[in-house]
Amino acid sequence: MTSGQRSTLAQCALFILCMLLVFGALDVALAQPFGMTRSAPSPEIGGFAGWIFAKQAEFYRMMSGTIRAAKADGSAAYTLMGISFLYGIFHAAGPGHGKAVISSYLVANNETWRRGVVLSFASALLQAVVAIAIVGIAAVLLNATAKTMGNAVRVIEIVSYALIVLIGLRLLWVKGRALLHLLRPGAHDHHGHAHDHHHGHGRAHDHGHDHHHDDEEEASAWGHAHALEPAELKGPHWLRRGLTAIVAVGLRPCSGAIIVLVFALAQGLFWIGAASTFVMGLGTAITVATIATIAVGARGLAGKLAQAKPGAGMLLLRGFETAAALLIVAFGALLLTGYMVSERLVGI
Amino acid sequence: MTASIRIFLAALLTVAFAGLARAHPHVWVTMHSELIYAPDGTVTGVRHHWAFDDMFSTFATQGLESKEKDKFTREELAPLAKVNVESLKEYDYFTYATADGVKVPLTDPLPDYWLDYKDSILTLNFTLPFKTPVKAKELKIDIYDATIFVDFAFAKDKPVQLVGAPACKLDVALPREMTFAEGKALSNIPADQQNTTMAWGAQFANKILVHCP
Repeated sequence: MTSGQRSTLAQCALFILCMLLVFGALDVALAQPFGMTRSAPSPEIGGFAGWIFAKQAEFYRMMSGTIRAAKADGSAAYTLMGISFLYGIFHAAGPGHGKAVISSYLVANNETWRRGVVLSFASALLQAVVAIAIVGIAAVLLNATAKTMGNAVRVIEIVSYALIVLIGLRLLWVKGRALLHLLRPGAHDHHGHAHDHHHGHGRAHDHGHDHHHDDEEEASAWGHAHALEPAELKGPHWLRRGLTAIVAVGLRPCSGAIIVLVFALAQGLFWIGAASTFVMGLGTAITVATIATIAVGARGLAGKLAQAKPGAGMLLLRGFETAAALLIVAFGALLLTGYMVSERLVGI
Repeated sequence: MTASIRIFLAALLTVAFAGLARAHPHVWVTMHSELIYAPDGTVTGVRHHWAFDDMFSTFATQGLESKEKDKFTREELAPLAKVNVESLKEYDYFTYATADGVKVPLTDPLPDYWLDYKDSILTLNFTLPFKTPVKAKELKIDIYDATIFVDFAFAKDKPVQLVGAPACKLDVALPREMTFAEGKALSNIPADQQNTTMAWGAQFANKILVHCP
């Protein structure tokens, strides 16, 4: 790759990162009580986005009919799986399902795209498990009411959003410090340094050693400052690190999944409902993983820019990571205070 | 990396993030409504009959005790009805009224609200009184959930009725049937009057329009 091409790529990556952050920030800035203004709904949500919105609702509505059909004819269960899968794919494009938090986390932490995919799938799986657990315990075992389930979800929400805030704050601390370190006069930049290993590139292969710090003094996100250790961060460490992120994002189940599960239960098809929920989670995971991969790709290319343009490049990179961490905190805080609502589970 | 790839990537991201900040409806309501008139020709309130979709009906009645399986009496549903009505308050009961262009407040439902459960469909019945009875040439009532968590739609047959009204013209605007209703309603306005109340655009609200002498 010529330096001209690399530079164009890098510019593109920066542009993508900018857009990611802008949209994330817009989401945060436009958040209002209960997520919406009180005026009449705006007309046709434009074009492609409107189509995704319509498809979600369409597949969701199809599920009740298919579940009823499955009661009479077992083979309808396969149709249900297909619909659930598609629903998951389209539904994850809407609010929630950790797209923004996971993407910001990956950018801030400079995780590889493969790990981004694993994190996405793990959190989607957890969401499915939690939905099944809530309905299984509350409805099946305790014959509890919808209100009780709603309360359980509310408690889970608080834990989940608080975790998101904590993760964001931790990252903000680490990345913000790294940024400030670069800004300090007389700070000496590690650039084009042998220690720089950025591989967010979409087609990157996992190096034997992953370096998540570019600067010997920078602490890892889970925070013990230590000197560069080439062999570390291999194996389970990244999963342990990511576990909090998985739990934070995956804990809050999908409201639609809960309603579908209760309906399936009422038809005597709880296990089919559970299978459908897992399949939904699969669809969700794919969408989230795709968006996460884009985020990682952009960050990786931006990293190349940091190598190409010493000083300013690294500063920009640290700036992005810090901004991403800030976004995580903002999302968590807005969700926690109820100022931003991703999904409602309401008794009307 | 050519400019076209750059544009494609930008488009991809725009699509990924922009305009998707809404959850799809989780509840579908089919409505029948009545406008209640007093003998002196003023409107005293709006009575709603909201039928929920089967999935939500099952969800809402989950865990409720009943003498007969899959059958609920009014009394058995009374606590749920109370919960429903109380949580609706927060959302202004999704009903907004304007009389001759001026907003008219509605108050909490009359205590005679109740829930029906028939053929697996839960229906909420309640009456929203106006704070003060309204006399207007042009009464407009919008029913919608701005967050689109609930999807409201008028029933196909006799969605709205006037109870005890003098000779008034009733128009019901169903979403996606704007042009027909709009045309009808337009004919009610004198030719020289400003068309302000008809500025619907392509809104999705279900509208009741009553034009009285």
